[in-house]
Amino acid sequence: MTLDQLLTDTKPALSQIYAEDLPELSQARDWQSKYRILMQLGRKLPPIPEKMKQPSLLVKGCESRAWLMHYYNQHQDQHFFVLDSEARIVKGLMAIMLSLVNGMSNAELKKFELAHAFDKLNLKPYLSQSRGSGLNAMMARIKDCCR
Amino acid sequence: MQPFDPVNFRGQFQFFQHNPGWVYLDNAATMHKPDVVVNAITSFYQRNNSNVHRGAHTLSQNATRAFEQARDDIATFINAGARQQIIFCSGATAALNQIAFGLMHTVLQPGDRVLITALEHHANIVPWQLHCSRFGVTLDVVPLDTEHKVDQQAFAELLALKPKVVSFSHISNVLGHIQPVAHMISQAKATGALTVIDGAQGIVHDKIDVQALDADFYVWSGHKLYGPTGIGVLYGKTAALELLTPIFAGGEMISEVNFSHSLFNILPFRLEAGTPDIAGAIGLAAACNWLQKINSEQVKNYKAMLLKQFFAGLKKIGGLDILSSPVHNAGIVALNVQGEHPADVAELLNQQAVAVRGGQHCAMPFFSQLGLAGAVRFSFAPYNTEADVATSLQALTQAAEILTA
Ligand SMILES: Cc1ncc(COP(=O)(O)O)c(C=O)c1O
Repeated sequence: MTLDQLLTDTKPALSQIYAEDLPELSQARDWQSKYRILMQLGRKLPPIPEKMKQPSLLVKGCESRAWLMHYYNQHQDQHFFVLDSEARIVKGLMAIMLSLVNGMSNAELKKFELAHAFDKLNLKPYLSQSRGSGLNAMMARIKDCCR
Repeated sequence: MQPFDPVNFRGQFQFFQHNPGWVYLDNAATMHKPDVVVNAITSFYQRNNSNVHRGAHTLSQNATRAFEQARDDIATFINAGARQQIIFCSGATAALNQIAFGLMHTVLQPGDRVLITALEHHANIVPWQLHCSRFGVTLDVVPLDTEHKVDQQAFAELLALKPKVVSFSHISNVLGHIQPVAHMISQAKATGALTVIDGAQGIVHDKIDVQALDADFYVWSGHKLYGPTGIGVLYGKTAALELLTPIFAGGEMISEVNFSHSLFNILPFRLEAGTPDIAGAIGLAAACNWLQKINSEQVKNYKAMLLKQFFAGLKKIGGLDILSSPVHNAGIVALNVQGEHPADVAELLNQQAVAVRGGQHCAMPFFSQLGLAGAVRFSFAPYNTEADVATSLQALTQAAEILTA
């Protein structure tokens, strides 16, 4: 497994999450269904193989461990990411976040506001503070990739 | 002595009236405060507020009297031999830092050893690491046995290396296991070591008699004993306290200051620099006085009954890894849903208004030894009810179902 391959596998998963799972999530009635969807979402992202989980990829500030890999296509000014988390709910939320930012230009990524975006998707109520902090740490790490 | 009545007891905590939907099982992190504690703090600020030990005025003298009365009450509560053996500090963490820092050079010389166990909270690991490494002192760690209890054989072997200080917890905050403290203290003392007991979880479980326990130090946090946050107790035998170099310096802890040197005040003031948490001490004393009036054996039995019901219920839920043992357990159960991350389990419980802690509980070394990401911890208190037990079991069943569906 290489970063290239992970990036290639992540992209369609994110498109599917954005196009299919997000609408489904917003339709879900009870919390049980919401969480089931969130966890299924996370499963769609290809996991980063253990061997590739270098300590430098670890995102600090999460209750559960999470990892982020990044590739910047300079010609097209696009940022691409691969992420993984050992906790499934967090991974689902991170997958949603990634589906919103993957492929963004440098300027777009700099401007992106997670809280605002989640608010628009009616996802904010599902972000308790503790989970929020893991997400925020991941978001901060993604933003650090900006030029 | 009043008999323990669970309904009346719970009724004294307004928190539950304000949070009726919640099942609170995170008592090992912090406990709720009964009205007597809240009222004592409010009343102090409303009626008696003044700084202590400083003013010539009557108000300050009144505040000082109330603060020093709190010290007396707490001394009585743990049966300390003398009032100056109660040092107020901000909590168990502050106390352990004071002890680790304070014993360097006076007791611990380069080349000496300190012994802790693999079950300790970070507060009883990191201060030792920090000060030992700067001082050339070796830190040894007693490993655990297969039941996650401190390996007593290994403890004896490591004692043979003659550590000058032995420091361990009375009750594990992760598993709830009650250590054989009396036995471990006497073994450590037999080798001439100073003994430090982290009583953060121990103080609330049992009636503590520090003279009977005979450790040199016993430290705890007020907020885990129905008291306010920000106050804790460093108990030490007088001779042991005299060995400590103060970690904080400033007002009240000195008797004479000039720019070339200062003379330290007597105990307890020598170890209490700056304005203390006056209201906190008064609030904590109120908690101790209140507890002393309640039959502690009945409280313990009630908590044991809740724990027994909880363990019985767990048996009916398949697919759990239960890390805590039901025997010698102070009311804490750490477990995992097999193959699932504790953060996910804790979050699904949170969704069902069951407050537990999921993670490593400030005991990373413990979990790395087991190769676990952590655990979900249910910790019980006497204000919990049988309904709490039933609700939390149901919620756990539901969480496991969602996760393994
Ligand atoms: C066994 C143990 N030691 C020390 C501490 C630290 O207590 P505090 O954070 O109140 O200083 C705790 C609290 O979680 C504990 O459970």
